[in-house]
Amino acid sequence: MSINAILALTLLVLIAGGFYVGRSRAMTASRGQIANLHSLPNYYGYFVATWTGLPAIIVLLMNAFFGQQLADRLTTAQLTSAARDMVSAYTVQLEDDASYQALLAAAAQQRSVADQLRSDINTLRRARGEARDPARLDMLRQDRLDRVNLLTATETSLENRRQQIASELLATADAETSDTARQSQAGFILATASASEAELFATDMRRIADGDLPSRDTPVLHSAAQLLVQTENGMMRILSVIVLALALGGFLMARQNVGSEFRARNNVEYLINTGLFLCSVIAILTTVGIVASLMFESVRFFSEVPLQEFLLGLQWSPQIAIRADQVGQSGAFGAVPLFAGTALITLIAMVVAIPIGLFAAIYLSEYAGPRFRQIAKPALEILAGIPTVVYGFFALLTVGPFIRGLFGALGFEDVVTQSALSAGLVMGVMIIPFISSLSDDVINSVPQSLRDGSYAMGATQSETIRQVVLPAALPGIVGAVLLAVSRAVGETMIVVMAAGQGANLTANPLEAVTTITVQIVMLLTGDQEFNSVKTLSAFALGLVLFIITLIMNIIALRVVQKYREKYD
Amino acid sequence: MSSITKTKLKVRDVNVFYGEKQALKNVNIDIADGSVTSFIGPSGCGKSTFLRCLNRMNDTIDEARVTGSIIMDEEEINDRRLDPVVLRARVGMVFQKPNPFPKSIFDNVAYGPRIHGLASTREELEEIVENSLVKAGLWNEVSDRLDDPGTSLSGGQQQRLVIARAIAVNPEVILMDEPCSALDPIATARIEELIDELRENYCIIIVTHSMQQAARVSQQTAFFHLGELVEVGPTETIFTNPRDQRTQDYIMGRFG
Amino acid sequence: MTDISTRPTQQGAVEARLARRYRSEARFRAAGLGAIFIAVTILVILVGSIGHQSLPAYTVNELRLNVELSEDLVDPLGDASEDSIRAGSFTRVLQNAMREEFPDVSNRRELRELFQLFNSLNAPQLMNEVLEDPNLIGQQHAFRMPLADDLDLYLKGRLVEETSARFNTPLDITSDGRGVLLRAQDPVFTDRLSSLRITIENDITAEQAARDRLVEQQALAQDEEAEDLGVQVSFADRRISALQAQLDGDELTLRDDMPSLIVESRGGFYKLTTVSIDGLAARAEQVVPPLTDANTDRSNWVLRIVETPEARGRASDNQLIWTRALVERNIIRTTFNGYFFNNADSREPELAGVRGALFGSILTLIITVILSVPVGVSAAIYLEEFAPKNPITDMIEVNINNLAAVPSIVFGILGLSVFITLFGLPRSAPLTAGVVLSLMTLPTIIIATRAALKAVPPSIRQAAMGVGASSTQTVFHHVLPLAAPGILTGAIIGISRALGETAPLLMIGMVAFIADVPSLSLEGMTEPATVLPVQVFLWYDAAERAFQPRAAAAIMVLLFLIISFNALAIYLRHKFERRW
Repeated sequence: MSINAILALTLLVLIAGGFYVGRSRAMTASRGQIANLHSLPNYYGYFVATWTGLPAIIVLLMNAFFGQQLADRLTTAQLTSAARDMVSAYTVQLEDDASYQALLAAAAQQRSVADQLRSDINTLRRARGEARDPARLDMLRQDRLDRVNLLTATETSLENRRQQIASELLATADAETSDTARQSQAGFILATASASEAELFATDMRRIADGDLPSRDTPVLHSAAQLLVQTENGMMRILSVIVLALALGGFLMARQNVGSEFRARNNVEYLINTGLFLCSVIAILTTVGIVASLMFESVRFFSEVPLQEFLLGLQWSPQIAIRADQVGQSGAFGAVPLFAGTALITLIAMVVAIPIGLFAAIYLSEYAGPRFRQIAKPALEILAGIPTVVYGFFALLTVGPFIRGLFGALGFEDVVTQSALSAGLVMGVMIIPFISSLSDDVINSVPQSLRDGSYAMGATQSETIRQVVLPAALPGIVGAVLLAVSRAVGETMIVVMAAGQGANLTANPLEAVTTITVQIVMLLTGDQEFNSVKTLSAFALGLVLFIITLIMNIIALRVVQKYREKYD
Repeated sequence: MSSITKTKLKVRDVNVFYGEKQALKNVNIDIADGSVTSFIGPSGCGKSTFLRCLNRMNDTIDEARVTGSIIMDEEEINDRRLDPVVLRARVGMVFQKPNPFPKSIFDNVAYGPRIHGLASTREELEEIVENSLVKAGLWNEVSDRLDDPGTSLSGGQQQRLVIARAIAVNPEVILMDEPCSALDPIATARIEELIDELRENYCIIIVTHSMQQAARVSQQTAFFHLGELVEVGPTETIFTNPRDQRTQDYIMGRFG
Repeated sequence: MTDISTRPTQQGAVEARLARRYRSEARFRAAGLGAIFIAVTILVILVGSIGHQSLPAYTVNELRLNVELSEDLVDPLGDASEDSIRAGSFTRVLQNAMREEFPDVSNRRELRELFQLFNSLNAPQLMNEVLEDPNLIGQQHAFRMPLADDLDLYLKGRLVEETSARFNTPLDITSDGRGVLLRAQDPVFTDRLSSLRITIENDITAEQAARDRLVEQQALAQDEEAEDLGVQVSFADRRISALQAQLDGDELTLRDDMPSLIVESRGGFYKLTTVSIDGLAARAEQVVPPLTDANTDRSNWVLRIVETPEARGRASDNQLIWTRALVERNIIRTTFNGYFFNNADSREPELAGVRGALFGSILTLIITVILSVPVGVSAAIYLEEFAPKNPITDMIEVNINNLAAVPSIVFGILGLSVFITLFGLPRSAPLTAGVVLSLMTLPTIIIATRAALKAVPPSIRQAAMGVGASSTQTVFHHVLPLAAPGILTGAIIGISRALGETAPLLMIGMVAFIADVPSLSLEGMTEPATVLPVQVFLWYDAAERAFQPRAAAAIMVLLFLIISFNALAIYLRHKFERRW
């Protein structure tokens, strides 16, 4: 049995004991008359059990979430400090190495030239009137490009030289095989290797420590892993002590409080209420998390690409960096084609979904008998429950070829399978149940007295619906449509699978278009270099998406709420 | 029943069932034209149910079933072949709570004439609306704001708007289901006056739980109890000299 | 205007419009019914078309080979130890078994084609069987493995268009130095012959048209260009006359871009190379020799026509013939596709299955349920029953309503930058996926729970308070049990939505290729896995065509689960529906 399981079991026993002790102490204090107690005896039990268990469980949970990371960090710190001598020897060697120093100086000089050019370019770009000089701007840009390429080349050789020195040092140190020597070698690797190398080393260390298959296996890795295991064991011991101490401390403190006057129930209920409150705060934390994560990266994106270029630019081609050191065109980040594609698909979807969804809702709420409702409503609910990836599959493999065949037969040439039309149509189908169920609710909440008033005038059912019920329900329906639009804008899988990826700026529904969500998926899946403008642009798109949908949701919810208040 | 006035509605053996439950038992009554008839009785006695038979509003309730015969001017109302749409153009109705449509004052009144195609030009329509509002005694209050929503009026005004809406299709019978129960005393008095003015041109039937109101506005009164029509007669007689013990108890306020 | 006098005309006006009004009523009503009909039809088409596309995935053509587990191949060290077996060459064992079936195949290119009838990834499976039972070494062993995906599709009629005709006229098969000569007494090949002639005639017309264009260009061109064009014209002339010669000659040659003709007689398979102009005879390559002891009638034979020459890139004619021959010999048999339900993902469609994704989904849902249901219900109880009316509560309410409508992909971005980058949760793991999905499901559960709590009439609360229960006791002893069915229904619907969610999981790296079935344990929670909807996404546009039916079948599994969840929710709602 692992030490973890023993700890958990001990804790359980303590909690159960806490409950028992709390309860029996209360019973004793009651002198045989439960009415003498402020609360029922069980509440005293709950009280003691909670104070015994809760702090300890919180610590255990925190360990479960962050323990491994902490162990990794501690081990890395230990290893690096063990490598202090080696690292200082290495620093000395770097300082003494003539070619390294020469490269360093050259890099610094080139960087300052490039920076100067960049600020010149920025000044020139903002220039208005006579100061404008496109030819010079182009020249400067070309010049900067050359400089930056040169700088990158220098930096590469600098890095190569540095690693050469590091590996030479490591090769000489390899002769020593004692544990401490191995550990300092490990620390040296962590401190001097490139970021990805160091990360790989850390991962392998973790895998060896866990008994998994590492990608490489060297004696250095082994001794590092051994240290990791030691650290983890040490942490586990400390954790056990802390957990048991907390449990016992909580137990004793709570037990002290138990007496016939003690308001155990109020205390327990207060704890429960606090817990409930914390649960509802998670909603706020989620929103904060979303906004923070989007803002943080977006701000960095907008420091590279100006806001108006992003919002008004007509060309979207986030260049795919083939090599990490490749500079040059950083791509075009004009998001208008994405907005247009999103709008086009949303429009098609709404053209399908609004009439069908609304008429379905009208029929279900005004005409259908109970038996028909009982069959049709679940059918619509199933339509609502179908995952979007299924709709995407349907759009690409059934609707797309059908549209191509249909328009091909009508004489349109070059109709592609991935088109705005097929994605839009299928998205419309997906939205139908959404609109119909929201409108159904809205129509049902139109008071019967209005319908009676209209019938009493001799109006037919359809006249009543068109002229009385729908106008009365209009605000609610508008709200439902807004919610549906926001859902269409944020829908991802259908468009990823069926709309294509080409950032065409077109109003032709038979062409492939791309949307905000498609680009987010393209940019954030697969291999990504973090911090590149390309990756950051996904966060900016996410922010735009979030803001658009948020505004629509707020308006929609307001409208619907106002409407509800009117008839409630 | 006075013989001077013509009988507008002749009701024979009417029963109403809601599913298994019988709400009205064997109702027989004659209702005179050009007069006000009031239905009184404790709540749940079936008076509103009976009222809703007269313009077939019970059709809109799925499980309601009406048997018996209701004859209006030689025509059987309770005949499936009779179109309720046509019937309701002839038998208007005003409800307990004012229910103006979510439209302008003008459109509320014009609603009936529009759906039934009673006006061929805009001028004709405006004339109908004005006439109806004048008859309902609302014209002076709203003539300068016909485009405001009907819901912007006060409760009493709304109820008069609804009455104007009903008169606009020029019905023969107007049914009123406790038209003043949601109104304050001043508005109530105004509506009662209006009912009295309308009496000469229409056959008006009013359901009320206020015996004073019945006494004030109606010429004929019918007392319902537990789904039965207990007693019907000239209002004076019912209030001063009822034949049935139950009527007497109700009038005296022994139950209500 | 007096009212009474206008009444008859008014009734006339009403009745005059009546027919028109009822027509418009009928139209409106039909539009409503039509809308529902359209929605239901689309549902049927959607499920029907995906179901139809999924059909090939449920069966598999299996190769059942008797393999010779000779000691030198499977036990190179000779001690039957694990190390020794692991060093064995099981691919060779399988290849030998195939060679035994077709001993005539000797040239390397053809052998390579032959070995492509199965995938070498099956060798580890054979090795595992030997590891489990080392007594097999040196024995014959009946081994079953799936046929390669393209040939599997071929047998299911989804790779090429193929027609076949059975003949009852004697066919003499003789071989000479140049190959095999087939001769019948009736002109059996005439049908084919005429369509071949048409193909060649069309070719001639096309060539002629091209030649005419060249001549035109030549007239306009000068010097060198004209000279070049002249050379091209002469080449065209040569091609045309060659084609013409074919038409005029004794026999027609079958080219690579024409449909293939295959004759199947007495267990032997022949691929036709030329057809004589009288339709009586043909020359052919013998691909599979006839059975020596065959007492089958030589006048009973089959002509197969593979109409789709462009499919040769995916499977050669020889491969098709071997496959047919193995079917004849009862070595290939169609069975239920157990691989699909027992395996995890694989690069090879015939070995790929949904079990890995299914288990990944289960693990993810466990996390989602554990996190979102208690937290969601608690939050709803707080907001509905205890929350004081203050700005914080208002903010929480607005927040929850907005979160319910935030696009799911945004939750994915949150997962990527907060849970993975900041908190260091593992990428692609069910744990991370579950956390992200529970945040996404939370608003749904909170809103459903609040509705259920709201539906409990205040009289219940007043009654409990009236006998002196605290508000906490009221809620937990009286309100919550009454609201439980509603809460459960809401939770099930929220969870079933989480089951089908894809976009946020793409953001947290669940698109990785995972060839192992994750273990249903705590360790499985943190190891890379994939889930059903993402599996569909990984398969739907894979290069191998056989992945498509599998994606459709994975959808059917997913839909089955989701519809079961929804049905359960509807059932619960009906069963516990209570009107107050």
